[in-house]
Amino acid sequence: MDEDRVRKQEALIKSILYRNLMEDYTPFPLDKKLAVKWANGMNIPKGGRVILYTSYMYQMASVFKSYEKYVPTLGSLGKSRILASIGSRLIKPKDEDIDRSVRILQNVYRMVSRVKADVGYLYEDEPYSGSLLYELGFLDEFKEYGKKVLGFFRDRGVEEIITVDPHTTNTLTNLKKYINFDIPFHSYLSIIGTVKGKGKFVMHDSCLYSRFLDMYDTIRDKMKSAGVDLVEDPTVTGKGVGFCCGGPVGPLNADLSDSIAKARAASLKSVYEDVLVACPLCYVNLEPYCSIKDIAEVIE
Amino acid sequence: MNWVDLISTVSGGNYMEVERILKEYPYIAELADHLRDQKMKVIENLDSYVSMTIKNVERLGGHAYLAKDKDDARKIAGEIVGEDKIVVFSKTNVAYEIGLREYLESRHNEVWETDLGEYLIQISKGWPTHIVAPALGMTREDAAKAVKKIDPSIDENSKIEDVVAAVRKFLMSKYVKADIGITGANAVAADSGAIALVENEGNIRIDTVMPQTHISITGIDKIVPTLRDAMDEVMVQSAYAGLFPPTYINVTAGPSSTADIELKRVSPATGPKNFHLILMDDGRMDASRDEELKEALLCIKCGRCYFSCPIYRVLGKDWVSTKSPYNGPTGVMWNYITNKDPWPASYCVHSGGCKEVCPMRINIPEVIKYIKYIGSKSI
Ligand code: SF4
Repeated sequence: MDEDRVRKQEALIKSILYRNLMEDYTPFPLDKKLAVKWANGMNIPKGGRVILYTSYMYQMASVFKSYEKYVPTLGSLGKSRILASIGSRLIKPKDEDIDRSVRILQNVYRMVSRVKADVGYLYEDEPYSGSLLYELGFLDEFKEYGKKVLGFFRDRGVEEIITVDPHTTNTLTNLKKYINFDIPFHSYLSIIGTVKGKGKFVMHDSCLYSRFLDMYDTIRDKMKSAGVDLVEDPTVTGKGVGFCCGGPVGPLNADLSDSIAKARAASLKSVYEDVLVACPLCYVNLEPYCSIKDIAEVIE
Repeated sequence: MNWVDLISTVSGGNYMEVERILKEYPYIAELADHLRDQKMKVIENLDSYVSMTIKNVERLGGHAYLAKDKDDARKIAGEIVGEDKIVVFSKTNVAYEIGLREYLESRHNEVWETDLGEYLIQISKGWPTHIVAPALGMTREDAAKAVKKIDPSIDENSKIEDVVAAVRKFLMSKYVKADIGITGANAVAADSGAIALVENEGNIRIDTVMPQTHISITGIDKIVPTLRDAMDEVMVQSAYAGLFPPTYINVTAGPSSTADIELKRVSPATGPKNFHLILMDDGRMDASRDEELKEALLCIKCGRCYFSCPIYRVLGKDWVSTKSPYNGPTGVMWNYITNKDPWPASYCVHSGGCKEVCPMRINIPEVIKYIKYIGSKSI
């Protein structure tokens, strides 16, 4: 590996990411109108005791995927120019990606609403969780920013958080460990009741859900009871061998990330042609190489 | 076949084979759990276990040394070997860690790797791809091309059996003349000063008894409290490497000896006159005192975590630098311990398969996260 390149890229990301988060609660300047589009017309209360927490993951997945590409540009721009570029082609996901995230998040909200009343959403105020800081190993900055996020939720009277993706769930788990993040949180997948679904897939497990958050069986049970048929091969979908989509290394080396995605898609396709994922980053990484759907596109 | 396809097939095969072994020999998982506890006792008190080991090796009539770093270890080994000798090596990661083969060669010794994979790497001037299967990246054709250099009867169409036979013939001619055998040790028993080695080829057995001097060079992390633990370690290591039962388990406790006359144990007998154990620190002692890092010392180098790692499965040996013979998830930890290089950790995608398959239940992603953090603090 080219250690010099990694060192430089990390240094750049660390400064940009931390600065953006501490100033704006977002990892990069993003168009918040797009991020909250899914909630329009849904009559979702703003804030409240219980909130659905998107952390921008579904809405901005394609931007996260291209983080390596954006970082040098973002690094060379001053803050005012970064802000001026909001909405430009530079950091705007494609319309079809936004539309898909709208459908997914609306469906998640509907499933959650069946078991919890008055679930709110923070709309444009929603802070990013800090996953990238944690995953890149910037632990001091992660703790610092985590305290800010915790304070933010407390100020708004949030008493319970429902997450929609594995990265945010894992990040809150680690904030609990590192800074005693004491607001209860759960993944939507562990609270939704009986759901219906259809189709036959090979499951690409999210690494975080299956091997860090102990949800390997939870998700399978949920899918099976919904009527979704999962094809298994212990050498591809077993807990110890089912591997990553390549996403997490994307900010440091997009080519490497892509090679992992290609290899993973090939092994998944050797089991079954249609792939099911539970994470927006897995989706954007694997999508160029296989026919793929998110869980929230097949259950309701 | 390209690397990604090859390693994908190998990984699937290894996974199923280890699962089969664990099912068929259910006591292995119990041994692994017990071994973890025993190894942890040593890590918590490494200083005193090192002293105990040295004392017990000397009690057996062997010599034991603690090398604080790579230079120190090279010097100790260099002095024992001397110059103009024929040296046969069995696979030893620590020898790679300190560049021992090259060092001994620079002192006019003829040095031969005797593990088939290592031998192929040596004659093709390559670098090990995997700790258990060093020549994993080589095809039959690659191996034949390399062996052709020492045996012209081999060509790219030769069968694997013929390639293996050619190497055997060549190495036999070296064994009979070898002055020194250098091995690693899968485990070192503190209570008795005995070392345990596991293998399938038979080369270690020859390396440890034919030459008149046997040097074992290994890390202080390989110390376990008792000889029973050492036997457990070789069983667990071979099972999780997917090679169980192993063809040979070797125990060496000092120089050769006999008690055939009046039941009085004397030394040497037929085997080596001299036994030397070089225990290598090279960052291990510091790691044992670092709460976040010390779990890495539990590693028994079975190589299973490599197969579960997406980065290794794409980059192979190009991931961790060639300063380190250790690659894959454990290599990220061990390259940091022995070379203080945190950067390969940055590529970790926290896939987590490594911790699922590790017999020592090392929380590898957590250790790597800590190493990532150390790297990021320096920028
Ligand atoms: S870290 Fe665990 S799985 Fe990897 S080589 Fe060491 S013992 Fe084996």
